[in-house]
Amino acid sequence: MKKLNRSLAISVAMTLGAFSGATNAQVTLNVISGGSQNMVDYVTDYLGPLFEKQNPGVKVSVVGTGPDDAGSQKMMEKLQAQKNAGVAVWDTDVIIPNQQKTGEMVRDGLLLKYRDSIPTGKYAVSQSAKQALGVNVDGYVMPMFESQTALAYNPDLIKTPPASYDELRTFVAKNPKSFGYNGLKGGMSGVAFVVGWMYAYGGNPETIQQGPYDAKASAGWDKAFSELKSFNQQVIFTPGNAGTLDMLNRGEIAMGPVWVDMFQTWKAEGRLAPNLKLKILSPGMPGQPYYYAIPVKAKNIELAKKFIALATSPEVQAEGIVKRFNWYPGIDANVVKPALDPKIWNQLFVDVTPEDLAKNAKPFPLAPFFKDMREQYEAKVQN
Amino acid sequence: MTLDRFPLVQFRVPGIASSLLRFALIGLLAAAVFGPLLNMLIWTVAEAWYFPAKLPIRWGFAFWSKVFRPEAGAMKALSTSLLIACMTVALSLVLAIPAGYALSKRKLPLRSLFLLFFLLPQAFPTVAVHMNIARIFYGLGLTGTIWGVMLVHAIQGLVFAVWIASAAFAAIGEDQVEAARNLGATPLRAFMTVSLPLAAPGLMASAIFVFLISLDEFSGTFFVGVPDVRTLPLTMLNAALEGNYQIASITALLLLVPSILFMLFVERFLKADVLASVGK
Amino acid sequence: MATLRLRKSLPLLALLMPALLMVGLLFVYPLLFSLAYAFRDESSGGWYLGNFTKAFALYGGDIWLTVVVTLLSTALVGVLAVAIAGYLTLGENSRAVAALRWIYRWPMFIPFVVAAQLMRTFLAKSGMLNNSLMSLGLLEPLNAMSLLDWRGVVVTFVWKQLPFAALLISGAMASMDRSLMESARGLGAGRLRILLEIVLPQVSATVWVSLILSFVTMLSALSVPMMIIAGSPTMLTVDMAWRVNSYGDYGVANALGFVSFAMSGLAAWFYLRQGLREGGQPT
Repeated sequence: MKKLNRSLAISVAMTLGAFSGATNAQVTLNVISGGSQNMVDYVTDYLGPLFEKQNPGVKVSVVGTGPDDAGSQKMMEKLQAQKNAGVAVWDTDVIIPNQQKTGEMVRDGLLLKYRDSIPTGKYAVSQSAKQALGVNVDGYVMPMFESQTALAYNPDLIKTPPASYDELRTFVAKNPKSFGYNGLKGGMSGVAFVVGWMYAYGGNPETIQQGPYDAKASAGWDKAFSELKSFNQQVIFTPGNAGTLDMLNRGEIAMGPVWVDMFQTWKAEGRLAPNLKLKILSPGMPGQPYYYAIPVKAKNIELAKKFIALATSPEVQAEGIVKRFNWYPGIDANVVKPALDPKIWNQLFVDVTPEDLAKNAKPFPLAPFFKDMREQYEAKVQN
Repeated sequence: MTLDRFPLVQFRVPGIASSLLRFALIGLLAAAVFGPLLNMLIWTVAEAWYFPAKLPIRWGFAFWSKVFRPEAGAMKALSTSLLIACMTVALSLVLAIPAGYALSKRKLPLRSLFLLFFLLPQAFPTVAVHMNIARIFYGLGLTGTIWGVMLVHAIQGLVFAVWIASAAFAAIGEDQVEAARNLGATPLRAFMTVSLPLAAPGLMASAIFVFLISLDEFSGTFFVGVPDVRTLPLTMLNAALEGNYQIASITALLLLVPSILFMLFVERFLKADVLASVGK
Repeated sequence: MATLRLRKSLPLLALLMPALLMVGLLFVYPLLFSLAYAFRDESSGGWYLGNFTKAFALYGGDIWLTVVVTLLSTALVGVLAVAIAGYLTLGENSRAVAALRWIYRWPMFIPFVVAAQLMRTFLAKSGMLNNSLMSLGLLEPLNAMSLLDWRGVVVTFVWKQLPFAALLISGAMASMDRSLMESARGLGAGRLRILLEIVLPQVSATVWVSLILSFVTMLSALSVPMMIIAGSPTMLTVDMAWRVNSYGDYGVANALGFVSFAMSGLAAWFYLRQGLREGGQPT
């Protein structure tokens, strides 16, 4: 027993030594990524090694915090804790948060305004590079990619999929329990479906997406919510974003709202039946970008900028974002497209065409409207 | 001996039905326990599995090579996880043995309040508390260290360690300790030679639980350990959370191996105790 | 008298101190910051009970569901764990005992998050359970239904917590004095009667400890209801996470945390009173 204790003590000491020793050898760039596992894989398998090759002596280390608001909330709380504790140098160099939490982080002064000092800053042309749910984030962020929700369906079971919310309602009335979504608390694809519903039936979609905030704009919501409540009687609820894909996969539902990039990744990995297809409902379903941002007291600010510049260069956006991971580019599409074989570019738009996107891809509502919408759903639809 | 057995033989005579029933019940339990586990095993080697197939369409180890690719560092994370779990168990026992002993004495004032106090970390869902814990740990310079992670895990597990230790000590009864004291043993000696060995099975059960909590912990590790300390849940449960069944199942399998080894180790202690109490 | 008692218990308090200090400094102190939010009005900076009103108005149904699901799971865990432990202690067919001992504890080591994953594919409408039952001809495809709601949560909780409770209880039973059991057996008492009338009363403290720890663990598990319950109503932890993540609303989240803690507090209180009655001594 004594011998065991001693050898245990030695191995503990050795491992602890290894922990403190390993970091001295080189600089480590610490990245925290929200979003799905494929985003963590993107940095682990593609972007990280590429950056390490270009910058000898640097090691990129990435940790994922999970999808939806929850994942980005975690990284925000970690930064806030360091701010509140008065730590001078923070332990995170690059973060990849979603839209809503980025707005809150900019408002709380947690992020660095860096975009004008990197060479690829000029490619950030989209509306979402300037505004995150109504919060001005211009200069604080570079979009990593754009993602979009759409209706996934099984063409073996549904020959002509509904093209709009109206058609969906008619279809579901005739074929109850064929459509499934994950409600409000089960992840963002369900939230997105509800938001699309409100854009279609709640009135004033432009004000709700662009502002200015005015409680009067939501006058028509009551009716839309009560219709949604009766619609909900005919649908199947799924457990989470992945749960919707699961149930499609097992044939338990014939269609449901999903994230396009998640759908593509699952399909590419063989985890999804190859026959499933996508369709964006009109008048529109929301999408959102993920951003690259730098905490205001990051340890390696210069290195972080270099990393983001690489990540948002046209070549990397073409090869990594579009070709390998099936996302829509975060920077100006006009500079990404020439860097790619047209065949690959077109693959991105097999089910959802650029015209569909132009017409039916919408942002999420302004933060205060968004909050009202979710709270009212809880009070009026769920109860 | 033979006399003892006689009624048992009688008891077994109507027994075909009863042994069938016993067989059926154990079979049912086995199905309930192993059904989901079998499901997990299949998922670890299922490369494609979709409607309407009842079994995977393509089998293989593609996801294993994904988990063990060197960039992801799963093996190092696993060894860190194990190290932290062992340290957490050690710390919890060091704290819980004296505390449990004290709490086993009914004369202790405010005893029930103290017991409730240890329940706090487990009973209060931590979603809302972590930010403040992280702030304090940053202030103490504990973030990014293996010690900090050990502390968060130990806090979560302490209720199991303390409560079970207290119950274990309370179950011993005063007689034997008094006997030892009457023979001239010091309180410490009486504790070491009588109370501690008798409470050992309970303490071991508590150690198992602390070990499992530590292996399973995700959120506290993120706030306190990241970026310098990574455990297996951090690198893989993220994929699991999001519905990658293959990776979730492979993670579970990896966690199962050390746990079962641990269990076998513990089994020796439990058996020893049972043997000891037979002759009593 | 009081001072004498206090002086006598000082060494005990000293033994308790390190553990108390650790939980106090590293958990309760930060917890107090959070709890304060439960009574705070974010918009005016004052103190009020509005968060509780809102919590009950929006999540009253979820509070009930949480109570029912955790109590039901705990009760099932208790009955099954006593049955398993009882058979391990009193069973006479040594092969059956050995098989049971080997079987029952496997799920103990599966983390909650993975258990939830497994059950999500196992209990679904076209999941492995229904598929197997259909292949065996025990279930008509038309009658197949999904268990992915509160029932699925109960199944997952029981599956995961049962081994722990059974381990603890069978440990307590194994260290009991067997002479009483054997003499009762000699007198011709049935095993069920021995279990209920002789064994169970002696291990009741352990049974309670294991049940309350299981209850509290289930009450604070987030991943299981999150991954298994589709839609609403759901459990309190999911609502708490939702308030924080979606609205940054620590007020209502902490009010819900308060409710959840009150539930475990009640359960623990119940146990302590039980212990008092048995111990027969005032504290």
